[in-house]
Amino acid sequence: MTDGSQPVIGRVVATEALPAGPHQFHFWTTPDAPVGIGAIVRVDGGGRTVHAVITDGRAYSDLVTPLHDVMASEGNPAAAPPPTRRTEVRLWTAAVLRQEPAEPLQPVPLADVRSADAHDVEVALRMDTYARGDERTALPVGLYSAGGTRAPIYLDADFLLGPESAHLSISGVSGLATKTSAVLFLLASLFTHFPKRKGRVAAVCFNVKGPDLDFLDQPSDLPPEDVEMYEALGIPAKPFERVHYYAPYKADGVNLNTLRTHPALVDEVEPLVWGLHEVLDYTEVLLNRDDIDAKADAFLDFLADRVVGKPFVDEWGQHHLVESFAGLEGLFRAIFDGLEQAAGGRAEMWRTHHVATIRKVRNRLMNVSTRCKGLVTDEVMSGDLPFGAFEDRAVYAVDVAGLDQLGQDLVFTRIVSKLREHLERRDLGVENVVVFVDELNKYAPADGPDTYVRKMLLDLSERGRYLGLVLFGAQQFRSQVHRRVVGNAGTTVYGRMDGDELATPGYQTLSVATKSKLATLPKGELMVRHPHFTQPVFVRFPRPPVLAGRQGVERFPPVPDVPFADAIVRQLVALDRGMAPQRAHDLIAGRREDDVRRALLATRRARPADVLAFFTARLGTAVRRQRVDEESAAAVSPLKPLEDPYAPT
Amino acid sequence: MRAIPVGGPEAAPEGIGFADGVQRWSVEGHFGIAPVVHAEVAAGVLVREGDRLRGAVRRAEEFLIVPGNRLDPALRAALDGFGLAVRTAEAPRAHPLVDRWAAAQVVEQRREGLEREVCGEFLAHGDQPLVVDGGLAGLAGASGAERAIGVVKQHETQFLDGEDLVVALTLPEGSRSSVFARTLANGAVTHSWYLRLWPWSDEDVLHGLARVERLATGGDDDVDRVSRWLLAERAPIAGRDPRWDRLLYPIHEVETVLRAHWGGWS
Repeated sequence: MTDGSQPVIGRVVATEALPAGPHQFHFWTTPDAPVGIGAIVRVDGGGRTVHAVITDGRAYSDLVTPLHDVMASEGNPAAAPPPTRRTEVRLWTAAVLRQEPAEPLQPVPLADVRSADAHDVEVALRMDTYARGDERTALPVGLYSAGGTRAPIYLDADFLLGPESAHLSISGVSGLATKTSAVLFLLASLFTHFPKRKGRVAAVCFNVKGPDLDFLDQPSDLPPEDVEMYEALGIPAKPFERVHYYAPYKADGVNLNTLRTHPALVDEVEPLVWGLHEVLDYTEVLLNRDDIDAKADAFLDFLADRVVGKPFVDEWGQHHLVESFAGLEGLFRAIFDGLEQAAGGRAEMWRTHHVATIRKVRNRLMNVSTRCKGLVTDEVMSGDLPFGAFEDRAVYAVDVAGLDQLGQDLVFTRIVSKLREHLERRDLGVENVVVFVDELNKYAPADGPDTYVRKMLLDLSERGRYLGLVLFGAQQFRSQVHRRVVGNAGTTVYGRMDGDELATPGYQTLSVATKSKLATLPKGELMVRHPHFTQPVFVRFPRPPVLAGRQGVERFPPVPDVPFADAIVRQLVALDRGMAPQRAHDLIAGRREDDVRRALLATRRARPADVLAFFTARLGTAVRRQRVDEESAAAVSPLKPLEDPYAPT
Repeated sequence: MRAIPVGGPEAAPEGIGFADGVQRWSVEGHFGIAPVVHAEVAAGVLVREGDRLRGAVRRAEEFLIVPGNRLDPALRAALDGFGLAVRTAEAPRAHPLVDRWAAAQVVEQRREGLEREVCGEFLAHGDQPLVVDGGLAGLAGASGAERAIGVVKQHETQFLDGEDLVVALTLPEGSRSSVFARTLANGAVTHSWYLRLWPWSDEDVLHGLARVERLATGGDDDVDRVSRWLLAERAPIAGRDPRWDRLLYPIHEVETVLRAHWGGWS
């Protein structure tokens, strides 16, 4: 088992105070040995081979007290160095990754220590069980680089996307772009290496701040060392081939609420617009805990089951077909009018629902389209993700950065719930979906109110792996994310960490040296925990092959909001490049904005061959106000009076 | 006899050697009242390259010592079965304490013998000076012995008296005494001088006081230079040893290396 290809760099030492155990041991090296915290080493002796990772290191000399050094230099730190350098030792602590044979488990032999070569790294991290052969499920997560050895580190797809375990949690301080970069690199790796036999895979990425995920289809200028890393990891250094962008409108209903508004790119952004149908099942998100009592819940169920989308006749004979918030408002008005007339205005119940409950639900629901204006519309129309037609190895980027908390919660909840529903029915279009959510400490906090979003994320983290629904969650402070969410993440990744965060109990198992390394980790390095790895491993990863948000905004600066008419025309022209902008301008001139919006959304949904004709048809005939003057009024003959059918006989 | 300032510290030549020896012994058992002593001795030379010391020469021996004139041949044969050399100590009379004293003499002689061997081996090659822990009596006549510099830490033997002694024992820091000649038991002549390595104010008069010895064949024109080399060796301090004020760090390191090779008693 000892090939001896690597030179001896140290020797295991054991004393009564620092014994060698089956899980940890100590060894010394010369000061210039090419090892450090996180390096993997190999010990052969006593018929067994031990692979271990260095978790701590100390250096000391035979100096008894600093005072002796002061005396020797006669109190002058700038004095000439002593002719003889003191004997010093580098004493390392290593945690065992793997022992062969595994049984009987014994203390590490007191033998020579070598740096691990690429094969050792593979064996040490048990990657040999999934990185080779026809059943290969290895996904590169970065390069191990220490002791002159560079070796790819692989995650096991079965433990990243399920069914064995699933989910990924990445933590790190903000501002270094490490978390987003790492996730994008990992998605590129996933799309390249995820085995075809495991099914199709797509990613839904929520852009929660700035332009982080707005340029995933644009190439970046990678330095040669990053290109080399991509080659070493077998991943093409190019942007994602299939990216679909979604963003809600701003309050004006025509300008997209995203920073990807540069004319060269904005046409690829689909509006995310939901009506009553899309929102009603998720009212729990929109209503706070005080709102949701049993009575309100019952009335909401009544609306969903009996009213919305179905012909409904009220007690006063009015027919309703509620398809939109506007239609729902009509129903509420009919109820209140009817109750006003009934029993002399003293009626308090309608179909077992108290009028106060109805009023409360009405207030909350009708406010939704106001509070989430741009995302939620009063009308019957929607722009949505293509549930049922998801593409293999495609990224669906949903830009919610411009939405307030309520809108973001609604988007998360509805999209994830829809993904789950479709995955349960196996009709999403893909069998596996990665959902990337940044700022998880905001959406699934460890403390605070038990929101619907948090419940949804908990459910996703606990049940998702059986469905192929996988959460990639990023957060600055892992300790501030609900422990069941981070606890269910089979793979945990750390970038540079905040010192205060590292002082929290969740990091107690890490050595002081490992924590120190984490606190000073350079950009482009990660510490990875994975079910196959018995100890955390440090890896380097290349910059993602896409434009970072900041670079993207510099290269494709967002354009200011344009007037309503211009925005409409631009979107129409984007659908039909041959369309003369002036014709579209003429078409919408003087038309009600709501009508224009409705027609545009319908056109976008339908993607007709003749855009202008379709849009014109949807817009309908213009009803123009006519000025009636004295002369023309006189020209109209008086109508012949009809018989009043209600006249008393 | 007068006090002579030697000037500031001066770096010793590259490749200078440092020699020392160590010994240990214990009574492992008795034949009757005669003790059987188990002994180990070692000697070595470390060479300084740059600011690092590396091992150049090392010798070690492990042996048993018995009172040779009182041991039954059968018992002696039994001792041979241990696989260790057996040496004899001739005590003037049969008593366990006297036997131990005699055994200690054997150990010390053997250690000095090893020291002579390693120093001789070093001095026989090259032209670098060798700093030896202790006097140079054993090196008289050895090839290259003129390059040996003995540094004696103990002052149990009195070479001066009267005003000369006062001058020697009150040397200020960085000063040496005049050189005086001394004839050894084997007829060899050495040049010797006292050197104050550390100030002795508020300390014992012997604090920081070493006696330096060179074989007279080497002349005495480089006394100040050698003294400056030794002054430079005050740093680093061999702080783990109570004799740190006179024990040069490289010499201390030779001891450390030799003891490290020993490990525990087998």
